[in-house]
Amino acid sequence: MSEFAKEEELKKMLENKFGAGVSAVDIRRARRVWLEAAPEKLVEILKFMKAAGYNHISTITGFDEGENLGAFYHATDNHIMATIKVKTPLSSPKLPTITGIFPGAISYERELEDLFGIKIEGLAPGRRYPLSDDFPKDQYPLRKSWKTADFQAARKSASAKEAK
Amino acid sequence: MSKITIPLGPQHPALKEPENFMLVLEGEQIENATINLGYNHRGMEKAAEERTFIQNMYLLERVCGICSHSHTTCYVTNVEEAAKAEVPERALAIRVLVGELERVHSHLLWLGVAAYEIGFETLFMYTWRDREQVLDCLELLSGNRVHYSINTIGGVRRDITPEQKNEVLKRINFLEERTKYYIKVATEEPTVRARAANVGKLPYEVALERGAVGPTARASGVKRDVRKDAPYLLYDKLDFNLITHDSCDVFGRVVVRALELMESYKLIKQVLNYLPEGPLTVKVPPRIAPAEVVNLYEAPRGEDIHYLKTNGTDKPERLKVRAPTLANLQSVTYMLEGGWLADVPLVIAAIDPCMSCTDRAMVYDRKTDKTQVYDWEDLRRLGIEAYKRKGVDFSKF
Repeated sequence: MSEFAKEEELKKMLENKFGAGVSAVDIRRARRVWLEAAPEKLVEILKFMKAAGYNHISTITGFDEGENLGAFYHATDNHIMATIKVKTPLSSPKLPTITGIFPGAISYERELEDLFGIKIEGLAPGRRYPLSDDFPKDQYPLRKSWKTADFQAARKSASAKEAK
Repeated sequence: MSKITIPLGPQHPALKEPENFMLVLEGEQIENATINLGYNHRGMEKAAEERTFIQNMYLLERVCGICSHSHTTCYVTNVEEAAKAEVPERALAIRVLVGELERVHSHLLWLGVAAYEIGFETLFMYTWRDREQVLDCLELLSGNRVHYSINTIGGVRRDITPEQKNEVLKRINFLEERTKYYIKVATEEPTVRARAANVGKLPYEVALERGAVGPTARASGVKRDVRKDAPYLLYDKLDFNLITHDSCDVFGRVVVRALELMESYKLIKQVLNYLPEGPLTVKVPPRIAPAEVVNLYEAPRGEDIHYLKTNGTDKPERLKVRAPTLANLQSVTYMLEGGWLADVPLVIAAIDPCMSCTDRAMVYDRKTDKTQVYDWEDLRRLGIEAYKRKGVDFSKF
């Protein structure tokens, strides 16, 4: 186990501190720790991890698992990449902002809002990113239910109507 | 004086790529800056879900024209890890070689762009002339100048012959001599120092806070380099130094990149003389069992991260790409604030932005409610004139 001493240390630290707030802490290989967290605990966990040296959020990856949407927060101390999975129901998807701890994460959170339609609570108002201003506001392209072909067909019929 | 807001871009505020900066000016000083992005959003992550792993190689190579090798290497590393494939060492060595040649090409290109923003056009001509040498190396090895297509799932597509090795070494030796001269110019030439020192300040704490990566972070004293921190490919077997600078300004970013060129030459020579014998590829099945992997790669502009989820088919369930420029742009607003309008192009260029990877400046007068768009020539002229008034005349050099 000494091979993964630092990874074990992180695992123990998180489990001791948050108990049931974190689950499925898994060391999948050297330098890769995966865990699941409750959305309401996310900000607290990241604050704690930042103090412990995990002071860089590489990015946030959104995902769609059917019933749940969610995001992976990739936090690193430059050596170990800890990926924190947070789920939120598709019926009312929302996650707290982490820009209070990592101001640099603002673009990543805007991506979650724009591409997945996950409401980020507490995110500063601003222009949308990365979709263009004229893209429909109620469509979220990275959701599995969104099909490129449907969008293209709808756009084609709309422009045909305009031509008439 | 009244406050005015000007938009800079979206037509290339620094490099010929679209991004928009809204600058609130108090006279010529910038009080507040906001960035608008997304002009280049092409929906690649969605497109990747509809393509097979091998088709995605072609797509991912086109995330960026300059770090084409960075993105494919990060991507294939993920695919290979998910498929549990052991890639032959010779293939890894060739990936390092092309990766470092790409870094040389990118840093020389940037040095030229920075020289141009400074108003030092001779240096721009020199660096871009010399950059042809490294592009020749890449063409020799891969057949292409920018999209090398050297990677494939399970290894690399082309071998290196002893003749090619000698040709590359010859050119690298020439570039090494030239780079020594550039380092001298970057560190000793008074015009470079006068124009770049104390411009676009990014203190250590802010660089950390805003998640800066690559040479931008390293010029603020942040020791962050994926090649050292979490070695991939063969970097744990190679000898090179992590370059940092503590001046936290554009000058530091010039020095860091110039010195990193020397480290890349060192790496290229080591790899060429190491090249282990063996096959170039291993077979990887087209369908990959469900897995989740995340890998990092030190692209010329900094940390590149890809996340991949496989689902047992020949297509990815989810692929996420975060290019280094997106991580650096939050730092740019900080660098601009408190600075001068004349420094804007230089500061933006100093992070070596790449909008096609990531994804605009206009000036607005708050009191008179007027908007004025400055084009590239106006901004350059403004910069040169502003410095002339301060006593630094670039048109003389």
